[in-house]
Amino acid sequence: LAVQVTVTGSKLTNVSIASLDDGGNPRSQSIDQQSIPVLVQQAMQAQSANIQGVSGASYTSAGFAQSLQSALTKLGVK
Amino acid sequence: VTKDAALDDDGLTSLHHEIEVMGTIVTIDLFGVTERKSEVVVGRVDLAEASLHEADRVFSTWKSDSPMSRLRRGEISMQETPPELHEVLDACFTAKKISSGWFDPWAMPGGVDPTGYVKGWAAQRALRDLECEEISGAMVNAAGDIASFGGPGAGARFRVGVTDPFSRGDLAFVVRLDGAIATSGTYERGPHLIDPFMAEAITRGASASVTGPDLGIADALATALIVAGDELIDVIEVIEGYEALLIRWDGTNRRTTDFALDSEVTVAGPSSP
Repeated sequence: LAVQVTVTGSKLTNVSIASLDDGGNPRSQSIDQQSIPVLVQQAMQAQSANIQGVSGASYTSAGFAQSLQSALTKLGVK
Repeated sequence: VTKDAALDDDGLTSLHHEIEVMGTIVTIDLFGVTERKSEVVVGRVDLAEASLHEADRVFSTWKSDSPMSRLRRGEISMQETPPELHEVLDACFTAKKISSGWFDPWAMPGGVDPTGYVKGWAAQRALRDLECEEISGAMVNAAGDIASFGGPGAGARFRVGVTDPFSRGDLAFVVRLDGAIATSGTYERGPHLIDPFMAEAITRGASASVTGPDLGIADALATALIVAGDELIDVIEVIEGYEALLIRWDGTNRRTTDFALDSEVTVAGPSSP
């Protein structure tokens, strides 16, 4: 799972999935389809709340939130 | 599988690593890594990853040849199982006792199933491999159950969001983290938690979070709390080092006295169902 973030100024404005490597696992694919819009919303909130992790996140969201964190760190956005 | 190292504003690096294991994604995040020590730190991450895969090999109930699966089918006796299986079942017995029987791996259909404890236990064990002077803190996040030490920088504490059970894109609360946090909810996989007293799938809370020094115990108590509901808050109140937050089906919540809720930020309170 790789995440692409769009930054305007120093503000995160959009998040999308750059690549989704789930090995063709149908369960994984179906969960990803349901989860991604939710995860994007959660990631936007994560940035505004200045948090390092999410508890109770779903199947792939832990990976997503942390991928996002990694992307943000690279961009120097806090 | 990726290892991303990045420079932050203070010239320190953080390191992010994702591992597909135990039927989910486990992420490792290291903070305040001094760049010249990064090789030492990467070696630590490799140890933690191997530890997680080893836990999967021993405990997976999906892998038919794991020692756990073979024990469940009665193909091997306890004497023939590896020592960590004894350690886990002993801890499960303790968790059953301190949760007044609400966490009970022996009440699961298909024989003893410590899955509700193992994921947290494995993440906590992997965290031990990461402890070193070269970093300010680390988090091991096993699909929303988090083991940690230290913080994002010197003297700072981690802040962690708790998913809003009524609005999955939102966070219900932000918690200051000192150690581990586990959250149980039915919003992800539908009803899948068994009431050990009634032997049926039932939950008396919408979401249950437990913090404390050990993620295995926190995970077991969070499972117990969402099944039992309010009465387990009183039980956890007197367990040394552990705190709890229950979000009820009506959107109200109840916490133990010292639950480390961040008073500054409530991102989005649970709305009425």
